[in-house]
Amino acid sequence: MNPFALIIIMLTVVLGTLIVMTSSHWLMVWIGFEMNMLAIIPILMKKYNPRSMEACTKYFLTQATASMLLMLAITINLVHSGQWSTMKPLDPTASIVMTLAMAMKLGLAPFHFWVPEVAQGIQLSSGLILLTWQKLAPMSILYQISPTINSTLILTLSILSVAVGGWGGLNQTQLRKIMAYSSIAHMGWMTAAMMFSPMMALLNLVIYIILTTTTLMMFMMNSTTTTLSLSHTWNKTPLLTTAILATLLSLGGLPPLSGFLPKWMIIQELTKNDNIILPTFMVITALLNLFFYMRLTYSTSLTTFPSTNNMKLKWQLNPTKTTIYLPPLIILSTLILPLSPMLILLE
Amino acid sequence: MLKIILPTIMLIPLTWLSKNSMVWINTTAHSFMITLLGLPLLNQFNDNSLNMSLTYFSDSLSTPLLMLSMWLLPLMIIASQFHLTKESYTRKKLYITMLIMLQIFLIMTFTATELIFFYILFEATLVPTLIIITRWGGQTERLNAGLYFLFYTLVGSLPLLIALIYTQNTTGSLNILLTQHWSKPLAESWSNNLLWLACMMAFMVKMPLYGLHLWLPKAHVEAPIAGSMVLAAVLLKLGGYGMLRITVMLNPTTSSMAYPFMMLSLWGMIMTSSICLRQTDLKSLIAYSSVSHMALVIVAIMIQTPWSYMGATALMIAHGLTSSMLFCLANSNYERIHSRTMILARGLQTILPLMAAWWLAASLTNLALPPSINLIGELFVVMSTFSWSSLSIVLMGINITITALYSLYMLIMTQRGKQTPHINNLPPSYTRENTLMAMHLLPLLLLSMNPKIILGTLY
Repeated sequence: MNPFALIIIMLTVVLGTLIVMTSSHWLMVWIGFEMNMLAIIPILMKKYNPRSMEACTKYFLTQATASMLLMLAITINLVHSGQWSTMKPLDPTASIVMTLAMAMKLGLAPFHFWVPEVAQGIQLSSGLILLTWQKLAPMSILYQISPTINSTLILTLSILSVAVGGWGGLNQTQLRKIMAYSSIAHMGWMTAAMMFSPMMALLNLVIYIILTTTTLMMFMMNSTTTTLSLSHTWNKTPLLTTAILATLLSLGGLPPLSGFLPKWMIIQELTKNDNIILPTFMVITALLNLFFYMRLTYSTSLTTFPSTNNMKLKWQLNPTKTTIYLPPLIILSTLILPLSPMLILLE
Repeated sequence: MLKIILPTIMLIPLTWLSKNSMVWINTTAHSFMITLLGLPLLNQFNDNSLNMSLTYFSDSLSTPLLMLSMWLLPLMIIASQFHLTKESYTRKKLYITMLIMLQIFLIMTFTATELIFFYILFEATLVPTLIIITRWGGQTERLNAGLYFLFYTLVGSLPLLIALIYTQNTTGSLNILLTQHWSKPLAESWSNNLLWLACMMAFMVKMPLYGLHLWLPKAHVEAPIAGSMVLAAVLLKLGGYGMLRITVMLNPTTSSMAYPFMMLSLWGMIMTSSICLRQTDLKSLIAYSSVSHMALVIVAIMIQTPWSYMGATALMIAHGLTSSMLFCLANSNYERIHSRTMILARGLQTILPLMAAWWLAASLTNLALPPSINLIGELFVVMSTFSWSSLSIVLMGINITITALYSLYMLIMTQRGKQTPHINNLPPSYTRENTLMAMHLLPLLLLSMNPKIILGTLY
């Protein structure tokens, strides 16, 4: 894409999200979402082929519907409370509709059907923006309305999401679909935390963004989109196999890696509020997630996956991809757990 | 405790920065030195613990296990030298790094004061072990073995995390030193029964309990020698150690909830011993023998009497050393004939007489010959189980008999009799292997002279 156009479009995406996060007028929030969505459509369409057009269309339709639901919620809130300020508590009906709108934007079950298909149809770099940056705006809205969220609704969304994220990813070999189901499951954890401690949901979001960015950047470095091509990493960049192992295990939530920290904190918040069955269910379904990450690590790092002989004779060319962000991201995504006492600063 | 943990962490730069010809020498020598560093910890008080800091402490229960795991690291490194000869130096250093990482986590686990810290490190020991089994194991079945190992342990231990956090919210602290004195009796209710189950299942899977033991033969058989050694010697004892620590908080629910697990263990020890008699795979035999011995430990911990706790602790240490020695012996066979089938290499006593002496010693300690510490452990457990219920002496007696049967079966099958003709040109024992066996046997013999140090907190 023309660099000038790309800069303007990326800035519009960022501006849209910032407008959502910082406005005090509900109409500006809606405008921010629309700006964000319209600007990201060209980014999703970096390659002109029918598959990306299909992905963009699905994304546009679901996000536009969600924005309309958001407008409905704003209007209901206006009717009941007579004002547009985001600082005031929302009317309960408006809160339900707005939560549903945000669920559609985030890709929570049962509104998750677009996530794997959109993630699959686009480039890896666009997938990175879709799965990380696009979660910031809806989560900030959920954070702002969290005192008034209907707990039954968000509990249902959360339970369905962790279940769908776990079981849905089991049958996938395409890496982008695997990351999409991983995103659904992690969103489920975040909304469960949102009920009791929005701060822990934000912690989960931050660590999830770091982990997903690391994973997708490693995939981009290898230019791989399938498990089979990921299994050739030992030939291209052997050092990356260890990094992929560590990051995927961290995504699965294994101690002592960073990915365990949000799960631990969320379980702590839930049990402090006498919720025992919910975290038990959530951790067991997180094991399903761990299973398909383990499958990826098995094919990539822990075994030499069977491949044809001419795949083993790759040309070792000079690397041209920018990998400067990868080392600090890998460190952040695996070694943050000893820093967990710093969470006391959040009090 | 940092004086032990920091040197162990620094073993990793030592591995990577050593000259290629000095890697094995450096790591073995320095890990032996770290073991020496830990010996003063054995000077324990009778009724108190050595409290190093807010995070680390060592009492008479954790110190023998800590010493066992520290003693085992150099032995694991010695044992791995042969099967890694063909690998590149980077891979050798990676393997040693995995062993050292496992050691760091184990040291921290056995000395952790707070139970959630213990939990995080308990889970953390899974990752290096999984990598050792899956990446460096021998056969294709190792993939399945790694998955079984990881998921059995995780399904058991995630409810433990929730139970620990719940207990911290209700009692205020999970510090082991405090819960000994603060723990209130749990009321009789369904939710407290579920809490007991959540706390114990993680350790039951790790021990393993008879019904949940499927991961163990797979993992032990498929792991390389260092993996088998550390699994049998130390990782199983993590379960026992955890159970011994956490039952302090779970009275009096244990006396009512323990029955199914005691039945499973009492029956399971006979079942697994009997399976040993029908095994063709040498490592599988030793793996099932581990299940059988650990079932005794589970029975002892469930009874909760002073003698049974002493027996459990002694049995854990004794079994750790014996089982690790048996795996080393099986590996010395495997390195020569590249097969784990027992009947392929028979009559080894004629060809390798010194190794036959080690085989004899290991088999005798496995069947709990007096005056070894194996006997002390088993005897205490049998006596305390008899006082709990007179009928159990029948089951225990049958178990001891069958243990003797399969240990002698293993000994006679591999060492005695006419040798199979094709083993005539096996290479003789290396000094490395003899050192390994002597290093395993010496603690066993020396501890028999002063078993006080391994009898745990209730001595």
